[in-house]
Amino acid sequence: MPETPSSVPAGIDPRGPRFGAAITSVLLIIDLFLSLIDLTEAALWLMVAIALLFLWGVVSPRTAPWGVLFRKVVRPRLAPPSELEDPRPPRFAQGVGLLVTTLGILLHVLGVPFALPIAAALAFVAAFLNAAFAYCLGCEIWLMLQRAGMVGREHRAA
Amino acid sequence: MKIIAALVLIAILLAVTIGVGLYLRWRQSRPQRHIPHEVVQPERLGAEGLGESATLLQFSTQMCARCPGVHRILSSIADEHEGVIHLDVDLTHRPDIARHFHVLQTPTTLVLDGSGTVQTRFGGAPSRDVIELELTRLDRKDAHA
Repeated sequence: MPETPSSVPAGIDPRGPRFGAAITSVLLIIDLFLSLIDLTEAALWLMVAIALLFLWGVVSPRTAPWGVLFRKVVRPRLAPPSELEDPRPPRFAQGVGLLVTTLGILLHVLGVPFALPIAAALAFVAAFLNAAFAYCLGCEIWLMLQRAGMVGREHRAA
Repeated sequence: MKIIAALVLIAILLAVTIGVGLYLRWRQSRPQRHIPHEVVQPERLGAEGLGESATLLQFSTQMCARCPGVHRILSSIADEHEGVIHLDVDLTHRPDIARHFHVLQTPTTLVLDGSGTVQTRFGGAPSRDVIELELTRLDRKDAHA
């Protein structure tokens, strides 16, 4: 049967993840700037902080700081959302952000040159596209992984 | 690196990212017509049949943020038009279908005519207007045929 995405968890305000992505993209561009002006130590620790925030978003999206800030401070000032959104795609995208930033940190620690600024730039592009254009790059990665045969085969319908 | 050089690099990155965003926004409401006009067999998608005059065939995944919104738009269009149905196929566990239709992004929407032939393709979240326009175009084509 063609499944309609109806049996999904309770919807969230789609502006929440975009608000978080806006803050994340600011943090990432600061991190990129720090690593470009050779404040590598500061850039590394900011990157660790960003990675931990991504981890928080994956493990417990409801308690993640930017989401809480959005619900407590921002949303009461906005009109109600015109539609609600499935919380799983943004959560998956947080996982992609976690992967990119963690790889950047690991490669940097292993001595790979430019690992930090490249990881920061890649994550920035994704976060900015999400914040400014509502384009969830992390969500599209599911299809690429699937086509590479890495996900999505576990309970294939007959 | 000097602060100026760092700021210039960041400005370039920002400009490129905005360019990519504008391109993506422009592309997703642009109908693609130079595509293989294959005949879709509904059984292979797990559907019972196709619309008499047209079918809006949407491909989604569970990881797709904009699919539910497009689903609502397309099913309301189908409700308003006699003979038009909306099919939403979840590709999350069906890489075979994704590969067959070369789906690289979700949502992807195919507009099929009354015979089930793929006429138009939209990658991304098309607006209601462009879908309505495609249906009108199909209608006119049928009338001339």
